[in-house]
Amino acid sequence: MYWKYVIRRIVSVVFTYIVIIFIYSALFNTVMEKTIRAQIDEQVKQEMLVQTHVMSVADLKRYQEERLAFHYKRYHLDEPFLARIFWRAVSTLKFDFGNSTIIRSAAGERKVLTIVGEKIPRTILLFTLATAIDIIIGVLLGMKKAQRPGKFLDQSTSIMTMVVYGMPTWWVAMIMIMLFVYKIALFPSGGLHSVPPPQGFAYLLDLLYHLALPLLTLVLIGFWGRAYLTRNIVLSTLQEDYIMAARARGLSERQVLYGHTLRSAAPPIATMSLLSLLFSVGGGLIFEGIFSWPGMGNLYWVAIQQNDIPVLMGNLAVTTLFYLSGLVLLDLIYGVLDPRIKVGGKG
Amino acid sequence: MKLQELRETLRDFWGEFRKVKYGMVGLVMFFLFLLVVIFEPVLIPFPETGQRWRDITYWEDNPKNAAPVWVNWFKRKDYTPQAVLDKPDFNERKAANTQVAEAVFTYDYKYDLPPIDLLLRATGKGLLNLAVHLERPDGLSIELTKKSFRLSGEAPVRLSLDKEAVGAVGDFLKTYEDPDVLRGVSLFTVKPVEVFFARAAPGILRNPAPLKGEYRIKLTCVAVGSGAFLKEPALTVAGRVFGLMGTDGSKRDIWSGVIVGTKWALLIGLLTSAVAVIIGVFYGVTSAYFGGAVDLVLMRIYEVFQSIPLLPVMIVVSAVFKPSIWMMILMMCAFFWVGSVRTVRSMGLQIKEETYVEAAHALGASQGRIIFKHMLPQVIPYAFASMALQVPVSIVYEASVSLLGLGDATIVTWGQILHDAMQGGAVLQGIWWWIIPPGLFIALMGMTFAFIGFAMDTILNPKLRTR
Repeated sequence: MYWKYVIRRIVSVVFTYIVIIFIYSALFNTVMEKTIRAQIDEQVKQEMLVQTHVMSVADLKRYQEERLAFHYKRYHLDEPFLARIFWRAVSTLKFDFGNSTIIRSAAGERKVLTIVGEKIPRTILLFTLATAIDIIIGVLLGMKKAQRPGKFLDQSTSIMTMVVYGMPTWWVAMIMIMLFVYKIALFPSGGLHSVPPPQGFAYLLDLLYHLALPLLTLVLIGFWGRAYLTRNIVLSTLQEDYIMAARARGLSERQVLYGHTLRSAAPPIATMSLLSLLFSVGGGLIFEGIFSWPGMGNLYWVAIQQNDIPVLMGNLAVTTLFYLSGLVLLDLIYGVLDPRIKVGGKG
Repeated sequence: MKLQELRETLRDFWGEFRKVKYGMVGLVMFFLFLLVVIFEPVLIPFPETGQRWRDITYWEDNPKNAAPVWVNWFKRKDYTPQAVLDKPDFNERKAANTQVAEAVFTYDYKYDLPPIDLLLRATGKGLLNLAVHLERPDGLSIELTKKSFRLSGEAPVRLSLDKEAVGAVGDFLKTYEDPDVLRGVSLFTVKPVEVFFARAAPGILRNPAPLKGEYRIKLTCVAVGSGAFLKEPALTVAGRVFGLMGTDGSKRDIWSGVIVGTKWALLIGLLTSAVAVIIGVFYGVTSAYFGGAVDLVLMRIYEVFQSIPLLPVMIVVSAVFKPSIWMMILMMCAFFWVGSVRTVRSMGLQIKEETYVEAAHALGASQGRIIFKHMLPQVIPYAFASMALQVPVSIVYEASVSLLGLGDATIVTWGQILHDAMQGGAVLQGIWWWIIPPGLFIALMGMTFAFIGFAMDTILNPKLRTR
């Protein structure tokens, strides 16, 4: 039963991804083609330079036209507009994002897929770690809040939730850097590791040292909202009849809270947490740029500054894929935690 | 549900809302922001901030990267604040083809660190021979500079004494500073204005002591030629501290920028959230009411929209198309509506089963009537709450896109000021007055609507009310 649900969900998300990629292609095809044409022109000029001594001028001209036509055909640039959009979408779906114009990967490669690929683990490292810490602090605080709602701890932390609600994380990051990097030199100003990177165990320590400030900033802003959500979920569960029954049986408040309430409050809490992880990756685009943390978010900054359209497009496609996979994962985890979901078709 | 009932619902809602303290705080803050927008012309010292934010000539008399005036309260040594002296003792005598004008500016200097520059501005015409003298409190009188301008029509005259008085400062230093010190110093590195505001004694160059008291700057002008004249002279003392929030790296007044940005933030936030939530509510109610195939199709479309990560898409679209602020708002509306659909739909599904809707059906009410009169009013309180919570999100999104330098260049927003701060190395140099105010305003605005939205949310979810 569960597998059927899994398959249905995956098929639906693949369909959604295809639709989104087509939308992207329709939106960005023109600018993408402009870049590719420029790249082809460049390449053909290079090829001609080699042939200059061998060929006559007329031959050379013919050769140029031939080569251009060949490349245009290869990239489907000679076809009508709608067909071009179709081919753009198909190549994006095949993860063929073309070559970058300026940005290179660590090994000096120009394949966009490689460039984006090497950023992915760094983004995942930072944000999953931050969210994990967030969840621990947030859920624990949320339970404490729900235990004595309306009391000082609950009220003060709720107010804090609202205070940080519209606060851009990247702005806090700017202030943190100004304070703890330049005023008091506690942390490095950014980047993944020192240059040159140390070896072995020292590398790990160095990485953690560089990770510390971004992580701290993310957690500092992140857990308030989670605590508030947990509180609300737990609080509404606490008013169920079976909780009252459990209390009537004389179970301790601890047992009621962690045994009975948490069991049924877990699925929504998990959903909220993962959902906010997904959204935080979205907001992290800017955040990474501030800390020059060389992940996918930082790549957007660099690509915009260098006006590197293929990298921008490739990064967007990969980000979207991640986002969608996250949404699916969320549903699947929800299915495990809450058996009602996978049996009854409608969510 | 009639219109009057709707009014009653809202009145009840208001009655509940009034009891939530932080909700009221949010409402008060919201009105304060409205007041800021209304009284914007009174609040900003630079009236053309909105139009000429990127026009460097508009800001050229200001100091660069100057801290706010109130840092003097916390410093042992007082920095000279910016001052504009535009009411000098002005005398003019006219003869046959000449006008002799004399303007005396009195400046009371009572700070420890001297101004950066003295800037003379006036309007004139014809051949103007200017001479500027400085009379110090210790009785010394120095001729700072002599300069001629030839203006064919009426035109502005601008004189920076920091640049013009280099010659005068050399003579002055030769009289008072130790020749051994002077030998190792290039005159081009000396800041004349700083020297003239120091006690005339050895050490004036290396560790000057401030000479406090009344300075008189005398501008003499002989205008030659028929119709030649000089009028409206003004002296700007370019300070080291400036205004309420200091200046940025392009000499712009940050306070004016932040205040002008308020109306844009409010506009972006309110417009986007209102349009998005209205679309979302209609979408959800329609989907719930019709059910079946309509519901299925609408939910599929909803899922596609919900699966698009908006911020990256917005960033890429902005980078490619360089949209105006209106396009950006439109784009946000096109994605933010999904936020309220799911809840509204489930509310709609419940309302649909109510007996009064059934009764309306039986009485032959049209579909439009049932949706508008019976279903929509029920979800209005929820719509308000999600509007309020959507406002900060919209503002932060616009700020994020602007931070990357992709904002609309014809307006001033808080995100753009922060972008300039990033570009200008404010983080590195610790220019906190460039970073904190715009971000703080974003945070305050977010807080305002969070207070309002959370308060509404608490009222709408009775289960969350504390026992």
